[in-house]
Amino acid sequence: MQDQILTWITFLPLLGMGLILLIPKTSLNLIKGVSLAATFVPMVLSTWLYFGGFKHLTPGDFDQARVAGDILASQFVQRLPWIDSIGVEYYVGVDGLSIALVWLTTILLFIGVIASFGMEKAGKAYYALLLMLEVGISGVFVSLDLFLFYVFWEIMLLPMYFLIGIWGGPRREYAAIKFFLYTLAGSVLMLIAIVALRLDSGTFSIPKLTELAAQGKLLGANLPAAGALLGMKFSTWVFWFLFVGFAIKVPVFPFHTWLPDAHVEAPTPISVILAGILLKLGGYGMLRACFPFAPDAFHEFAYVLAILGVISIVYGAFVALGQTDFKKMVAYSSVSHMGYVLLGMGAFTVWGMEGAVLQMFNHGTSSAALFLIVGVIYDRAHHRDLNAFGGMSQIMPRYWALTTLGFFAALGLPGLAGFVSEALTLIGAYQAGDARFRTLVFISLLGVVFTAAFLLWAMQRVFLGQKNPKYLDFEEINFRELVCQAPLLFLCILFGILPAYLLDWMHPSVENLLAILGGKA
Amino acid sequence: MNPYLDGLRGIQPEIVMTITALAALVFDLVLKGRESRRVGYLTLTGLALTSWFLLGQWSEAAPRTVFGMVAIDQFGNFFKLFTVAALAMVVLFVMHDHREREHGVGEYYFLLLGASLGIFFMVSTNNLLLMVLGFELLSLASYSLAGFHKGDRKSAEAAMKYVIFGGLATGIMLYGISLLYGLTGTIDLAKMGTSTGGLVTQLAQSPVPVGIAMVLILAGFAYKVSVAPFHFWTPDVYEGAPTPVTTFLAVGSKAAGFGVMLRFLGAIFLRPGVADSVAAYGDRIGLLLAILAAITMTLGNFAALRQSSLKRMLAYSSIAHAGYVLIGVSCMTEAGFSAALYYLAAYYFMNLGAFGFLLYFEGVNGNDSVDSLKGMGFKAPLISIVMVAFLVSLTGLPPTVGFYGKYLLFVEGVSQGLYWLVVVAALNSVVSLFYYLRVAKALFLSKPADREAEPAPVLTGFVTAFGVATVVLGIYITPLRAWAERSLDVLRG
Repeated sequence: MQDQILTWITFLPLLGMGLILLIPKTSLNLIKGVSLAATFVPMVLSTWLYFGGFKHLTPGDFDQARVAGDILASQFVQRLPWIDSIGVEYYVGVDGLSIALVWLTTILLFIGVIASFGMEKAGKAYYALLLMLEVGISGVFVSLDLFLFYVFWEIMLLPMYFLIGIWGGPRREYAAIKFFLYTLAGSVLMLIAIVALRLDSGTFSIPKLTELAAQGKLLGANLPAAGALLGMKFSTWVFWFLFVGFAIKVPVFPFHTWLPDAHVEAPTPISVILAGILLKLGGYGMLRACFPFAPDAFHEFAYVLAILGVISIVYGAFVALGQTDFKKMVAYSSVSHMGYVLLGMGAFTVWGMEGAVLQMFNHGTSSAALFLIVGVIYDRAHHRDLNAFGGMSQIMPRYWALTTLGFFAALGLPGLAGFVSEALTLIGAYQAGDARFRTLVFISLLGVVFTAAFLLWAMQRVFLGQKNPKYLDFEEINFRELVCQAPLLFLCILFGILPAYLLDWMHPSVENLLAILGGKA
Repeated sequence: MNPYLDGLRGIQPEIVMTITALAALVFDLVLKGRESRRVGYLTLTGLALTSWFLLGQWSEAAPRTVFGMVAIDQFGNFFKLFTVAALAMVVLFVMHDHREREHGVGEYYFLLLGASLGIFFMVSTNNLLLMVLGFELLSLASYSLAGFHKGDRKSAEAAMKYVIFGGLATGIMLYGISLLYGLTGTIDLAKMGTSTGGLVTQLAQSPVPVGIAMVLILAGFAYKVSVAPFHFWTPDVYEGAPTPVTTFLAVGSKAAGFGVMLRFLGAIFLRPGVADSVAAYGDRIGLLLAILAAITMTLGNFAALRQSSLKRMLAYSSIAHAGYVLIGVSCMTEAGFSAALYYLAAYYFMNLGAFGFLLYFEGVNGNDSVDSLKGMGFKAPLISIVMVAFLVSLTGLPPTVGFYGKYLLFVEGVSQGLYWLVVVAALNSVVSLFYYLRVAKALFLSKPADREAEPAPVLTGFVTAFGVATVVLGIYITPLRAWAERSLDVLRG
């Protein structure tokens, strides 16, 4: 069972999807029940995996694992042949970088299913697609075979397209196709890089590729013309092809324009999953399948990445300040928050990297909570115009309390999760010991200020001031909505006070990654 | 053994197919044009028999030649089985076409079988003469098929365009072949490129005449598979011809064109014992094909963006796919050819399925515009969901057979250093996503239509089976790939 647990976590939703397809669409309650079960069981399994099964490794363990051929020291590994003729394996496992994200995935999908119960139009097809989406996401986080990774990566696109396109807002068709085209444009470039890596190294195994790259053996020597493309070195173009594919997903400025559209049009549960998990795939992908394969190029362009990160931080927050649409504001705040991830990674210090990975998790909980908050008020008012509310704190005091918590988590108030990770990335970037990075840190502080500004201003416009007479009869946040938000906000508090419950899991792998990227392998 | 009897045994599939064709004609006379569906069943029986004989040749180890002309090898077998499988579906399409009464007559089946017979001969010979004969048989039958709706102006126009273009292309090709014969003194492909063959001496003197001959011959093939700049006939003919015929042209005839092209190039340039100068010349032809591939796929995809008719869109998409297959050809390696064969097999499943969908909705809507599909996904859910699988596969996304086909092509392209071509192809698949998604968008992203879709269980069943195959073969990849690889014995013997 233990070595199959990741397979169960990944494919149980697929089983649920198959069941749902067999149920007649009139038995909606049964469909809901199956979706709930098919997301609940993986959540239980991954929670056990996180707190019970996962071993905290020592440097000695990493040395042993390296000798054994797995430089990443993955756990719960399952390895089966899949397509023998081209050496593709079904190869899954988790390490300190992925375990928390697998856990987050299962939590958010479970919450996503509950949140969907409020959608009248959501039927059989909706839940089937939602479960298919979970398969793709979990699959990416556990894959240790690059081909498998790519297959899961692409499997996500279609359900997402339909979930936005069928159940979305007025401009859903535009938003859905924009999302699909952007992501595909990135992933075809990834595919070329993957093909090139495979042909140069003869393997799809991510640990093996990482090891070869660390030893400087992944430079295109086995390809015609030493793998040079348009005058670029092999490792340079492979790095950029992979990076752009992931950067579109994050999304990093200037590839971010699909995100506000997709978020605004997507139904609430899908926004939650999109912001909470899909964006993390980009950051995770960089750490797992971009930087380690081209360490030289990473060091060469680390500063460029950090600059892109800072632009995202400041620009995202600045644009969010100008929004009148509640959801669009939160969407731009995601661009800003994910910028920290890139800044931290570009800094290439322990704190920076750790902050980046931590920020991914914390943004997953806080942004998901924010989108749920938007959903609550949208369900009642059927619009999201920040200027059209007012005095909601008196009409829905409990809702206001939760919102305040969510907003403070997002703006990085000490004691809440966002603060720890943002502080870590900024300190980490400062530690990079380079005047250029210090400048970037100071610029990105501007983003912190903007973030506080747009959140507090939104708070003021929606919740404070005169009561809007139109909305006096709004009912207080209901039980289902509370059930969705409470666990997320709880995690925001928990990991704000005890970040060690995330950091201790990540730390060994982050150190290991730094050692690999530093070329000390 | 008596070589004559042995030869007859070798061409058993062809004989069965000829008999079937004649029987279809006679049977229709007996039925006096009524209950023409029975002729369809007769044709299917004949095809089943043909494939039985083809499978009998499956296990034959060494390639051989009978009557000094017909090569019995696995390469030919691949394309013959492919053709039979395609034709069987086309016959089913004919029987489920809402316009069946207008064209479901014996001549129709006769012509389809005749065209397939042409394919059989053209893909299984190293003899240029027989190749041309098969080519012409296929072309002539296709011309008449394209114009089968006699009263329909579009159909007549399609046939006319097809004849004129086809005549010109065949003429050009014949001229090239006569040049090649003059240069090498043989019409046997296998003998041209060897160290004692005529090509070596010619290339030593000047590569120009050989180049002219090659370009002219390739032009003929390019026309058949609709590679730019010989693709102009494709959209009009595909749109005007009856849908089953379009299917046959897009799948059977196109694959056959690639079969001839691969055999021609493979037999001359890639066989063991080919002289070095000839092999080096082959690489230059590969570069020419790579350029054509890039132009073809880009042109096909961008033109498809603007189409409002699903049929025309599929026509342009088939041009784009010819460009993808050409990547494999242009590598001029065994692995490249095998990737091309795999892609053709993938193309068979996804494109036949898409045409089945088109046929069904032509019957439901009375036209083939993408707009008329709006909201119909909720009225005919099964076939529409399956169509999404075909669209995904045509775009080249996992886990479908089309993705793996594209992957193999990319692998070979990169390993031959054709990076730019692979980048062009990859970006092209993003472009293609846009128009493929228009179909999915019309089906599912609009409000449910207020019309009902009349069910067609048999057609839907077959299309669904193709959809399942498209996904399953994208996960369980070995069988198709093994088949593609073993079929390249033409490059080995």
